[in-house]
Amino acid sequence: MKHDIALSSPPAGTNAERGIEKVILRLVRGGPERLAIESGQIDAVVDPAGGNVILLPQAQRSLVERKSRLRKLFALSCDWSWGQDDQYRFVSCEDAGVENSSYRIEDIIGHTLWDLSIDNLSETDWATHRQQLEWRVTFRDLEVRCVDSAGAVHYLSFSGEPIFDARDQFQGYRGIARDISERKQAEAFMQEPNRYVHSNFDVLTAHVGVLDSSGVVLLANQAWRAFADTHIGIGAGVCEGANYLESCDNAGGHERVDGIAIAAGIRQVIAGERESFRYEHACDSPAGWRWFMLNITGIAGDTAERAVVLREDITELKRGELLLGLEYKVARCLAEADNATGALQAVIRTICQSQGWDCGRYFRLDPAAGVLCFGEAWGVPVAAVEQFLERSRGLVFRPGAGLTGRVFQSGQPLWIPDGARDTGASPAALAPETGGEGVFVFPITAQNKTVGVLAFTSRTVREPDNRMLQAVQSIGGQLGQFLQRQQAADALRRSEARFRKLTELSVDWRWEMDSDFRFTQYIGSDVSGKGEVLGKTLWELPNIVLSDAEWITHKSQLSARWSFCDFEFAAVHPDGQTGYYSISGEPVYDEAGTFTGYCGTGMDITSRKAAEIALRESEARLRALPGPASV
Amino acid sequence: MTRKKMKGAASSPAYMTVVELRLYIADSAPNSVRAIANLEAICKEYLQESFRLEIIDVLEYPQRALADGVLVTPSLNKISPSPVSMIVGNLSDTSSVLRALGITEHVK
Repeated sequence: MKHDIALSSPPAGTNAERGIEKVILRLVRGGPERLAIESGQIDAVVDPAGGNVILLPQAQRSLVERKSRLRKLFALSCDWSWGQDDQYRFVSCEDAGVENSSYRIEDIIGHTLWDLSIDNLSETDWATHRQQLEWRVTFRDLEVRCVDSAGAVHYLSFSGEPIFDARDQFQGYRGIARDISERKQAEAFMQEPNRYVHSNFDVLTAHVGVLDSSGVVLLANQAWRAFADTHIGIGAGVCEGANYLESCDNAGGHERVDGIAIAAGIRQVIAGERESFRYEHACDSPAGWRWFMLNITGIAGDTAERAVVLREDITELKRGELLLGLEYKVARCLAEADNATGALQAVIRTICQSQGWDCGRYFRLDPAAGVLCFGEAWGVPVAAVEQFLERSRGLVFRPGAGLTGRVFQSGQPLWIPDGARDTGASPAALAPETGGEGVFVFPITAQNKTVGVLAFTSRTVREPDNRMLQAVQSIGGQLGQFLQRQQAADALRRSEARFRKLTELSVDWRWEMDSDFRFTQYIGSDVSGKGEVLGKTLWELPNIVLSDAEWITHKSQLSARWSFCDFEFAAVHPDGQTGYYSISGEPVYDEAGTFTGYCGTGMDITSRKAAEIALRESEARLRALPGPASV
Repeated sequence: MTRKKMKGAASSPAYMTVVELRLYIADSAPNSVRAIANLEAICKEYLQESFRLEIIDVLEYPQRALADGVLVTPSLNKISPSPVSMIVGNLSDTSSVLRALGITEHVK
């Protein structure tokens, strides 16, 4: 241990100084030593009696000054110094700086560094530090964080070196500590803008990544990273440090073309050949098809061109568009269909092709029996699907029975992603309806009543979202109204047919005239006898026997657009026989109210007329017979 | 403070003997610092690397000074080769130092 040289330093040139010199000269008897002392070349004298070292005044002053300078320099370089014993326990803490840290001296002395309340080092960090100490290596800038009793956070930096005695025995460590709280705060402040940018970046729902000129992702936000972790295909697993262009180049399957196009676009943007590049692409995923819109924009980096890739998930929007398109297609199918069968097949096919489903079946309500019967179906031309549809023919469901019956009864859509699993029924029981696949069933309604059920089967059936449910409700309503209208039209047609049959039984022919009273239709027995009625007016027919007065009367009726009934006339047939006929007609107007002609019926009244003639002739003969004057 | 310095004796010429020296100083007092500097210069110039120097701080190890009969610092002891010698002062007189070490200037 060095003697404390600062305490005995006398003022230069004083009596005390001169007294010390006398003592020294008394101790030193040798000539060379005395000469050296007198020439000022000696710093210290060793007292042979006690072994004390006496510094000469000049040396003493010099050492004091030097120690003072060192203290100042030390104060500049650190806040406090410390010493540890061979068990790494603090045995000394010097300087006032320690009081400004979060510790009091009594909290430190006797404790190791890891005994102190330090909260930023893990067990592994401490193990590493202890290993350094065991290896007796110098350690520098071990940064620790601690919180004082007032809750203030302090950062301290410890540096230390091992100390050994004269026999190279390890004695412990000594070192310095610096309070680096301000520096840490400054660093935190400097990093704040970056953190702000990062946090804002992470808030974005769009996937954002910054690529360097080779396509390596320099920066990515949280959404990008989450996509990379869960997605399959382009961009899968591509986070910071990975190459996005390579991911595009190596895309396979249905994404190959998209991958090539995206990579080409990015390279053009990076090369400055275009300012931005937009590309929409779809990809399959465990949750179904997903659509993305890529927007790549070039930015000038510090040293190289870079590209910002902004990838937005437009699946919801796209699905909405597709479902809107599906509703439009269904409406068009219904508009173009001229019967229920054609309409149902077209609608089922359209839905299957739009949604990627394998087949669809329509079960119509039989109101009389109160059951749902297999009606129409459409499926992709695959043997398994065709067999499934064939097995479906003749299927009948009571309300509430099976998936079809349940949907009919509830009026609500029902779906099972996997036909093998359903809580309500065994897979075997569901097989006729699902074929072991997923199934989507929804009602067909008209005037708030369920008139049928559509059931679609496919492996790709997924739980529908709200937009899908809206679409099937709309489609079910459209189809239901069409079927109801078609049903009404069919009923009307059947009624008309029946009426026609009855009409045909009561009249001999039916006819129609245009606005110029020329026959345009003539169904039944031919009044002209030669089939030359069409295109002629009644009075142009040569075999009609009618007086001029009667013709004038009839023509005036027609000109006045009056209905006429039982207009009788005679016609001479080619065989010379005379036939008698009666026609009735009424004017016809179009929707605009314009007169378009006449239509009517005709009857052959020859027999009746012959009877009348015979009766009149009989009466005439009776009158001609002689007899009483009055009969 | 005790410092030992041994400059590459193995690479020294075979005919040159390694000079073993011991310098007693008092911390970094002016003459002690000057003595170290002067001795370093002399050794470098005249002994190249054929010397072994031990520097002893008497403030730390006063007993060693007493044991070696050193009364003042700086003092330089030539331990070997014989004859042993001692020179006191800051070693600014190179001729005196060389004589004490038994080195003639033509060695240079």
